[in-house]
Amino acid sequence: MTTRTQIPLGRLWDTWGVTALLVLLVLCTPVIAPGFLEIENLQSVLRESAYVGIVAVGMTFAIASGAFDLSVGGQLALTSVVTLMAFNGGGTAAAVAAAITTGLLCGLVNAGLITQLRVPPFVATLGSLFVFRGIAYLLTQDGPRTLPYEQVDSPFAKLGSLNFAGLPVPFLIMAGVFAAGWVLMHRTAIGRRTLAYGSSPSAARFCGISDTRIRLFVFALVGVTVGIAALTYITRVWTADGSAQDGFELKVIAAVVLGGTALKGGKGTLIGTFSAVFLVSVLNEVLVSRGVESAYQRIVLGCVLIVALTIDGLRTRFAGPGSFRRALRPTS
Amino acid sequence: MGSDPPLRGDQALLEVDDLTVEFPGIRALDSVRFDIRPAEVHALVGENGAGKSTLLKVLGGVHRPSSGEVRLAGARYRPRRPADALAAGIAVIYQEFNLYPDLTVAENVFSGREPHSAISRGIRYAEINRRTSDLFTVLGVDIDPTAAVGGLTVSEQQLVEICKALSVDGRIIVMDEPTAALSADEVTQLLGVVRRLRDEGRSVVYVSHRLDEVFALADRVTVLRDGRHIRTCDIADTDPDGLVRDMVGRDVESVFHRDQMSEGKVVLELAGVSAGRRLRDIDLTVRAGEVVGIGGIAGAGQPELSQLIFGALAIDFGTMSLNGEPFKPRNPGDAMARGIGFLHEDRKAAGNLPDLSIRQNLTISVLDKVRGAFTRLLAPAKESDVYAGYHRRLNVKATGPDQLIGQLSGGNQQKVLLGRALAPGGKLLLLNEPTRGVDIGAKAEIHRLINLLTADGAAVLMVSSDLPELLGVSDRVYVMAGGEIVGHLTGDDRTEENVVACATTGRRVFSEELTKR
Repeated sequence: MTTRTQIPLGRLWDTWGVTALLVLLVLCTPVIAPGFLEIENLQSVLRESAYVGIVAVGMTFAIASGAFDLSVGGQLALTSVVTLMAFNGGGTAAAVAAAITTGLLCGLVNAGLITQLRVPPFVATLGSLFVFRGIAYLLTQDGPRTLPYEQVDSPFAKLGSLNFAGLPVPFLIMAGVFAAGWVLMHRTAIGRRTLAYGSSPSAARFCGISDTRIRLFVFALVGVTVGIAALTYITRVWTADGSAQDGFELKVIAAVVLGGTALKGGKGTLIGTFSAVFLVSVLNEVLVSRGVESAYQRIVLGCVLIVALTIDGLRTRFAGPGSFRRALRPTS
Repeated sequence: MGSDPPLRGDQALLEVDDLTVEFPGIRALDSVRFDIRPAEVHALVGENGAGKSTLLKVLGGVHRPSSGEVRLAGARYRPRRPADALAAGIAVIYQEFNLYPDLTVAENVFSGREPHSAISRGIRYAEINRRTSDLFTVLGVDIDPTAAVGGLTVSEQQLVEICKALSVDGRIIVMDEPTAALSADEVTQLLGVVRRLRDEGRSVVYVSHRLDEVFALADRVTVLRDGRHIRTCDIADTDPDGLVRDMVGRDVESVFHRDQMSEGKVVLELAGVSAGRRLRDIDLTVRAGEVVGIGGIAGAGQPELSQLIFGALAIDFGTMSLNGEPFKPRNPGDAMARGIGFLHEDRKAAGNLPDLSIRQNLTISVLDKVRGAFTRLLAPAKESDVYAGYHRRLNVKATGPDQLIGQLSGGNQQKVLLGRALAPGGKLLLLNEPTRGVDIGAKAEIHRLINLLTADGAAVLMVSSDLPELLGVSDRVYVMAGGEIVGHLTGDDRTEENVVACATTGRRVFSEELTKR
């Protein structure tokens, strides 16, 4: 048998498929959602996508390594609360330090549970999701933590709503995190090892890759991205309590999966994640502008996710030799 | 070549006529013909990629032909799914077994066809256990029908698959590389089982790379090459060299003969090394420029020994030294940093990184060497240089460095993984089953490479269950049994008889003691 070369179209689709869909959707907006392309509306879409987008970078690494981090919603609530407390106590520098440190600590707790107590990542982060949110509730028993009124004109409080050269600052931060993530994934040894580990943990072990180090790296990275996201979040909404961004983890995971990162690990596409974040928010925006109820918005998002993964599953089966009918039949 | 006149009275049970199977971009089988007579063992040989597996999958109802016809007992045979093949009495046993590890042997054998009690609808366990036990008696083996399949050895699982085939009264049993993962005595047992099947009147299609088995077993043999039928003949009408010529289309030395090497200084030394119950009191030396073989039946501790040296298994007692210095690796990374390369025996489960390109698969063991001087970032140009070096040296056939490793043939995958093992420095190589599941051409190339490496002063420790390879490639052979070294064979003592005797009879043979006497 001659060696099969992968159909280039398939490889292109892996990386750029979601991006193509996003472009298509945006091109349709003048017809289906007049007013979408107005500058202020675009800025708002870019700004509101930033929290999900920033954490989706960390999550892309986690899923590419073959693990989930379900706790990011709890991490975001806890980090936001702690950051506001730090800002009220020590100003901007304290807030930034608190955000990154709290996120990082949350990630280290997860990594510790997984590598030292050998709890599977899914279970460990499901548990820590409740714990982190619980602590956030404890810290806000007397009411949500908020930015004091006299500080609303401070540069810190403006960070989330400022524009730079017409682009919202949270979006610029997100773009920077994506760029750093791309370098980390494709140009550093730890990034390559993460993909290798996700592809085959047992083979990676015999390549001298330490699973403890990979877990530590991945979950710490998720924590740091949560810290950065928390900064863009609280400087926008100025308040946080235990219920902040409920369901956040699922939005993040949905974006990563929609972007084309394989759930079984080994492959991560940050370009896909980036486009998927915006595909979801543009779709939402279109639905809102057409007056679709929020209940239906959820249903549409769910269907998009299912359809995307179905197409992906079919394509994977088509990659091997076999007929169309066999691809549609459940695997025997 | 040419068509073979049917022997008198030998009406073919199954005939394959002009069979062509095409996949997008490739023609896996091109007008192939093949036939099976009642009560014969028909060997099917060819290099990896010759089309053997495709032919099996057509018979097993997995692939459908693009053109051509298969007739079973004169009637047109067109299985649409694997269950159709089974119903027609054709049982195909693939290399990857179709077994449920958590179910018992008997549950696996009767899976989907369990006899039920009329009243409770429960499975009649007593009946399936008894019937399974009866089938094992027919095969002449002893396996507990109530044992969980996951706890069985590979060879026992294979026998469960054969038993499954018998339970549907399979007239034609097709085996794909049945001995690839078996030790010498398990192979002997399997050959016995195949002969029993033939004596029972069943036909066996036997696919194997191991020509000694083919000559020990087959009545007829068919050679495929590049998807084409090359030759079908009685086994008496050919010899191993002839078959090898047909398979590769050129002359290849079928058994490797190693150049004589002079011994260098001691590279690796183990003294009294033990690890749990798996390894006991191992003494061993490997010198620069020599190949030291480790033989024995499967499960005697050979892979564990190499993993221990590589730092993947903790050492309980004893000492190791590398180039005269104490050596105690805490993990494989430590061992690699000291220039040790490792090849795992299970390419699929613990070798390939399936989502990574072949270049990335190769450089994963030396990422520190492919970084930029200032940025410490991976430099694609340096990676390509490393890859290009090994690509030439190992003769990897691929469309380019970005091809995924899973798209290569087994032999080429193995060459990439060998490159990965060589990259850390190549002073000491721990090679487990370096040519398992590799075609004859690639096998010879790998043996030649080992020879070249040792000529350059590398020390090689090779675990192999392929006796001709173990004896042909190694300068010295250690034999293991039950986690201990029970034999050390040098010079003319390196014979198949000595290895098998040490591995299976509990006799100990040490060349140094023989010469003293």
